[in-house]
Amino acid sequence: MTPARVLMNFEVTATSHTLEAYRARGGYQALEKALRTLKPEDVTQMIMESGLQGRGGAAFPAGRKWQGIDPYDGQPHYLVANADEGEPGTFKDRWVLEYSPHTLLESMAIAAYSLGARHNFIYIRGEYDLPYRRLAAAVEEAYGAGLLGENILGSGFATDIFVFRGAGAYVCGEASSLLGSIEGSRAYPRNRPPRMTVSGLFGRPTVVNNVETLSTIAWIVDHGAAAFRAIGTPTSPGTRLLSVSGHVRRPGVYEVELGYAWGRFLHEDCGGIPGDRPLKAVIPGGISSQVLTGKDAKVLTADEMEGLTLDHDVLRKAGSSLGSGGMIVIAEGTCMVRLLQIMLRFYHHESCGQCTPCREGTGWMHRIIDRIVAGDGRPEDLERLYTIARANDGTTICGLGDAAGYATVAMLDNFGDEFAYFVEHKRSRHQGNIECPAS
Amino acid sequence: MPGIVIDGQALEAADGQTVMEAARAHGITIPALCWHPALSVDGSCRVCMVEVEGRGLAIACNLPVREGLAVLTDSEAVRAQRKLTLQFLTLNHPVDCGICDKAGECLLQDYHYAYNATPSVSNEPKLHATKHYSLGERIVLDNERCILCSRCVRFTREVSGSHVLGIEQRGDTSLIRPAAGRSLDEDPYSDNVIDLCPVGALLSRRFLHQSRVWYLTATPSICPGCARGCTVDVWHRRPDWQLQAVATHRNHAIARVTPRENPAVNGPWICNKGRDLADLLERLRALQPMVAGVPATLEEAMAAAREAIAAARHPLALVSTWGSNEELEAFKEHLGPLFTCRVKADHQRGPGEPGDDGLLIRADKNPNTSRARALFGEAPADTPGDTDLVLVWGEGFDGSTLPAGATTILLGSFEAPENVTAAVFIPLSILTERAGHYTNFEGVVSGFAPCFPAPATVTHAEELFPRLVPEGGRP
Repeated sequence: MTPARVLMNFEVTATSHTLEAYRARGGYQALEKALRTLKPEDVTQMIMESGLQGRGGAAFPAGRKWQGIDPYDGQPHYLVANADEGEPGTFKDRWVLEYSPHTLLESMAIAAYSLGARHNFIYIRGEYDLPYRRLAAAVEEAYGAGLLGENILGSGFATDIFVFRGAGAYVCGEASSLLGSIEGSRAYPRNRPPRMTVSGLFGRPTVVNNVETLSTIAWIVDHGAAAFRAIGTPTSPGTRLLSVSGHVRRPGVYEVELGYAWGRFLHEDCGGIPGDRPLKAVIPGGISSQVLTGKDAKVLTADEMEGLTLDHDVLRKAGSSLGSGGMIVIAEGTCMVRLLQIMLRFYHHESCGQCTPCREGTGWMHRIIDRIVAGDGRPEDLERLYTIARANDGTTICGLGDAAGYATVAMLDNFGDEFAYFVEHKRSRHQGNIECPAS
Repeated sequence: MPGIVIDGQALEAADGQTVMEAARAHGITIPALCWHPALSVDGSCRVCMVEVEGRGLAIACNLPVREGLAVLTDSEAVRAQRKLTLQFLTLNHPVDCGICDKAGECLLQDYHYAYNATPSVSNEPKLHATKHYSLGERIVLDNERCILCSRCVRFTREVSGSHVLGIEQRGDTSLIRPAAGRSLDEDPYSDNVIDLCPVGALLSRRFLHQSRVWYLTATPSICPGCARGCTVDVWHRRPDWQLQAVATHRNHAIARVTPRENPAVNGPWICNKGRDLADLLERLRALQPMVAGVPATLEEAMAAAREAIAAARHPLALVSTWGSNEELEAFKEHLGPLFTCRVKADHQRGPGEPGDDGLLIRADKNPNTSRARALFGEAPADTPGDTDLVLVWGEGFDGSTLPAGATTILLGSFEAPENVTAAVFIPLSILTERAGHYTNFEGVVSGFAPCFPAPATVTHAEELFPRLVPEGGRP
């Protein structure tokens, strides 16, 4: 495990999520520092200098997003924390929400100060029950201690945080769709332009950041941009929370310094693959990384993966990305056709139905793969899947359509022979296996 | 004024325009299903995809113009994507054009032939949905044909303001549905969604399976339902497709009414009353001229009328607010000097009928009050006690206000009990049988043309009035 820690830098106990414990480990110093010594634009500048990239999937520079907002333009601004962590394989934000909710609240207060946001929202997915209760309790604590609300820490600065529970739609993780959900309308992604920093929540400039991205702010303000830059690689500074699932001995949430060697992470930190099976593939950042980006859902084969480091640039060059940090490890002997079936069922089920290619394409691909798995595949099916997947590339309103397409293309590109085998022999080369027994 | 290039053609766009708007302003067609000039941008159908040179594909309807922007509307990439999009749109569409009222004027059908023109490449069974969902007394919804462009939803939100329609469920099982406990019948503009629907998903019950649209032709006309005077298209059987044996009455019946877009009056919309013009105009017609309730020829009736006018000492004329500008002017010229003229409201606002609603509907339910008042003044249409003759033109005359001993000359189009009791009754042609102009409440003059020939026994008011003047005038 890498030594540098930004978020998982304390021992988790039964009370470590409380305000008392958080303050005992230096919590809310950064907020105090920001309010007393920094101007709003200084904070943005600091985030810009830190090189912090979005942790939701797109790895867009957080500072650059913030610069889209002028805190002094006199109109309301909103800051929204995207805690609708719906990407399959991703559960890293949950760690923050459950074990360190005050990190998020403190960071949001700092960000609200920087952006001139009087009202802030945390959009948390409806399925997150314990995280919601912890978060709601933390908000109560913070208000009680004068860390939120009017006249925070005697500085005159006021900001409010609302916790908004989603109802379990994947598409609400897409930032603009999430805003619609908060507004009470149908959660459909919105066309760009306009950008959300121009017209977002209730038509006002809005910044939507991932929970992990926001939670890093307090540390950066506390320790300085240079200290953050010193962690990670020059192009990808800092650490990332990775939620590891699939065929590993020790699944869970890990904080790794960017640039960490992938092989070491899998075999030493995560304990390797049960039964010491060889690695077949890795989905490095959630099955589509994040609805926002798309281009990330690439599955990497074992050969591609060994020798890589966990770094935004490196993975991007390898044709994938760290995405949302939801890493799924796939051992040899897994049926990729069934895996794609599961993924496509997900995309079909979660397509919001607003724009044509995704609404019709995800269902179409799902029905084709269902037919293949049922042993009724036709030789032209694989070509058809390619065609449908590519028709979704860059032609939809949000990234969900792209993502479904990329996932399909990547699977077919890397494991085309397995799909062809299934179609030809009407059965799986791996007996339809998606499990990895320990023995 | 940013200069942009569309398909190599340089043109000046206006600031704030999208590529779609700029292209249309210059006569360049970019196909689109969800986009409509009078509604907000939805960007969901993805049919208007164009290629931004050097940047890839983007939807034209949400692409702001900027100096130097160069787009291609028919490049290889655009054609390929458009074709695939149409494959997607028809994937679960039933393609039951053979029994669909929209066939022949369906955008999806047109685009399919223009940009796809290949059968579906899908081997999968089509998804099924509600084939016949009632949206109230007027409209039925076929969810299988629906392509979820959301035009109807946006119409009820942005134009009519009733907010009745929305989308339920998600993905490829999304359904257009009325809001819980609401009905589209609440919306007096609901039928516009039938025209807005680019496919045959929203269907008029009135027009359902009544005719293929290619058997029909449209004649420009005006809705006489209120003082707005919306310009409409009255659709009726084409002369070259006249029915020869069965149901020949349909040859001279209104098949349907649609708005005729007119920014000065009604924009692209009309209200439901305008859709039901047949209810106003196809009532039981009065076709027989009568003298004292006894059938007579037109000549006899006119002679009797001239006689009565010549004999009257205090004649009063109640002028129709359904008369055209030409007819009102003819009346003024020929009969005006002979009568005390008053403007009469032919139609009153019915129970439950909307009044001024800020969109189109007006409380005055007559089309030409404006011109009639300009010619004949504002005086109320009551009958002075010494009146000995009342000439009533049009409907809306209350016979009980007639002074004792006075007689009436009735000029009307529809069966009414007063026709028989009048001294003289002369039948007139109706809106769909003549040409003319109306002046609406804002002073905008619009014209209407005849759809059908007038029955042989009726006369046009404009031709009748000069012939009612007694020889040598009134003594």
